[in-house]
Amino acid sequence: MNAFIIEDEELLQEEISAYLTERGFNCEAASTYEKAERNISLFDYDIVILDITLPGGNGIELLKKMKREKKDTGIVIISARDSLTDKLSGLDLGADDYITKPFYMEELNARINAILRRRSLGINDIIRIDDLEVDTNAKTVFHGKTEITLTKKEYELLLYFIINKNRVVSKQSILAHLWGDEYADSESIDTIYVHTMNLRKKLVSHTGIDYIKTVYGMGYKWVQG
Amino acid sequence: MKLLQQSLRYNIIITVISLTVAGIFMYYLLKKEIIAEIREQLEYQAEEIHQSLERGHSVSYPLVEIEKVDNSIGAYSIFRDTLIYDPLQDKSEDYYYLLSVKKNNAGNYRIRVMTTYIGWNEYSSTIFTMLFFTALLLTLLNVMASYFFNKKIWSPFFYNLDKLKKFSVSSEEPISLQSSKVIEFKELQESLQDLADRSQKEYKALREFTENASHEMQTPLGIIQSKLDRMSQAELNEEIAGHIVQAKSGVERLKKLNKSLLLLAKLDNNAYPDKTEISLDTLLKRQLELLEELLAGNETAAIVNIAPVHIHANLFLTEVMLSNLLSNAIRYTAPGNNINIFLSGNKFRITNPGAPLDFPEDFLFQRFRKSPQNIQATGLGLSIVYRICQLNNWKVAYEYREGHHSFSIIF
Repeated sequence: MNAFIIEDEELLQEEISAYLTERGFNCEAASTYEKAERNISLFDYDIVILDITLPGGNGIELLKKMKREKKDTGIVIISARDSLTDKLSGLDLGADDYITKPFYMEELNARINAILRRRSLGINDIIRIDDLEVDTNAKTVFHGKTEITLTKKEYELLLYFIINKNRVVSKQSILAHLWGDEYADSESIDTIYVHTMNLRKKLVSHTGIDYIKTVYGMGYKWVQG
Repeated sequence: MKLLQQSLRYNIIITVISLTVAGIFMYYLLKKEIIAEIREQLEYQAEEIHQSLERGHSVSYPLVEIEKVDNSIGAYSIFRDTLIYDPLQDKSEDYYYLLSVKKNNAGNYRIRVMTTYIGWNEYSSTIFTMLFFTALLLTLLNVMASYFFNKKIWSPFFYNLDKLKKFSVSSEEPISLQSSKVIEFKELQESLQDLADRSQKEYKALREFTENASHEMQTPLGIIQSKLDRMSQAELNEEIAGHIVQAKSGVERLKKLNKSLLLLAKLDNNAYPDKTEISLDTLLKRQLELLEELLAGNETAAIVNIAPVHIHANLFLTEVMLSNLLSNAIRYTAPGNNINIFLSGNKFRITNPGAPLDFPEDFLFQRFRKSPQNIQATGLGLSIVYRICQLNNWKVAYEYREGHHSFSIIF
C-alpha cells in the first residue's frame, strides 16, 4: 500500500510517515507544492494525505489536478483551517475525508482505513484476527460460528483497537473518535473505561484471549502476535 | 426635548416678551399723545369761550360750564378726571376736564370744558388684539420654518444619526454618511465617517488576528500531540508515563481552548451565513442518542419532553449550541440525578439539578468565566451558546430555582 504525505511541517510529516510505515504502508513525503505536483504526476498512490497550505501553492489545486488526471487515489485533507466551507469545498472536489489539525495518528489511521475499505483497495471487508472475524460491511463480529453481540459503540471501539493494533491508544483519542471533540471532556473518560471493560469481557468469554491490555495511565493497547 | 422644539420654545417666549413690551410701550405712548391732544383741544376750547365772553356773546355749549367768580381768585388752569353718569347708557363714563379761571374785560370767569376719553378702552383692546395676532402669526411661521428646516437642513443629520444607530463595528459594510452644506454638520459627518472606518478596520484586524493566531497554533499543537503519542508507545517507567499523561492533558485543554476561540472568532466574522430549515427535535434526538452511553456512564437519565419544532438557522451552529448546552448540563449534574429537556413551540429548555453558581450570574455567558472548581473547562462553551443565540436573534435566559439550573432559549 503506497501512501504519499504532502505536509510542509517537517516534524508532523515525519510523524505521519513513521506511523504509517509502522502500519505497513510504503510512505513517500513532500513538503513543497512543486515536489508534490511532480510526484503526483509520476506515481500512483493508494492514499494521499494532503495539507492545504503549502509553500508554493494551494493543496486544493493538487486535489483538482488529481481529479482531472482521474487518479484512483484515496485523498485525506489535513488542514489547520477548521472551517466548514473549506471542508465542504474539499469534499465537493473529490476528497474522501477531511481532518483538522491537531489530530490523533490513530484517528488519521482509522480514516485512511475506512477510505481504503470503501474503495476495496486491498483491504477486505472481513478482518480476521485468529478466530475472530469482523465484517466491516455488516458490522458484525463472529468467533468461529458464534456471533459476539456488541453494542454500536463497542463495535466501533473494537474496530478502532484493531486498526491501531499494537499501539497504545489514549482514552482521549477514543473519546474523540466515538463521540467527537465536543464531548471529549475529562469527566467522560470513565465512560471509556466502562465500554472497554465490557468489550474486553465479551471477547474473553468467547475467545478466551485478552487482546486488550491496559497501559497504566496511557490508555489501552490491542496486543496481537 | 428635541433641539427644534427647544429653539421653537425660546422663539415663542422671546416673541411674547418682546410683543408684550412693545404693546405696553405703544399703549403709554399713545395715551400720552392722546392726552396731549385732548389738552390742546380743551385749552383751545377754553380760550375760544374766553374770547366769546370778552366780546359779550352768550356762550352755551354742551359739556361746558361757565361761572362768574370773585375777582380775588387768581388765574389758574387744572386738568382733572371725572366720572359722569350717562342716563342713556345707564353707566358712568370717564371724562377729562379743564378748569380754567381767567380774567377778561367782562369779569373773572371760571370755565370748565370737558371731553370723554373717546373709545379709550377700544384702543387698548385693539392694541392687545393686534399684538396677540402678531404673536400667533409669528409662532405659526416659526413652526412652519422649523418644519422646513427639519426637512431640508436637518435631513442629512437625521439620516446620519439613523445610520449610526444601525452601525456595527463587526459589519463588513462601510458606513456611508450624507454630506451637508452646513459646516458643523459636514465636520461632524467627516469625523464620524473617519471614526467608523477606523473602528471597523481595527475590529477586523483584531478578529483576523484571533483567527490567524488560532490557526497558527494548530500545527505546533499537532506536533506536540503526535510526539507525546509517540513517546507513550515506548516502554516507560511509571514516573515518565505520569509526566506524559499530564502533558497530554495540557495539550488537550489547549486544543479545546483554541478550537473554541477559533469558533468565537468565526462567529464574530459571520463565517456561517448559510441557513436551512432544521427539524430541531430530530437534531436533539440524534444528539441524545449519541450521548446515551455518556449519560449512562454518569448514572444520569435524560427526561425528555420533545415536540416537533422547525427553525431556520445554520445547521452546524445549531448543533454546536445543543451539544454545548447538553455537555454543560452533564458536566454539572452529580451522578444519580436527572436532566430535564423540554422542546415545544418556540421554546427549548434544559434543566439540571446542582449547587448554586459560585460566581455572579451575570458572568455566566462571559468569556473565560468558569467555576473555580472546574479548571478543566475552557469557560467558552456558554459564551459560544450566547453568541449563536445573539446571531440568530434568539433569547437565551438562565435561571436558578429550587436547586435547579435552567437554560431556556426562545426561538
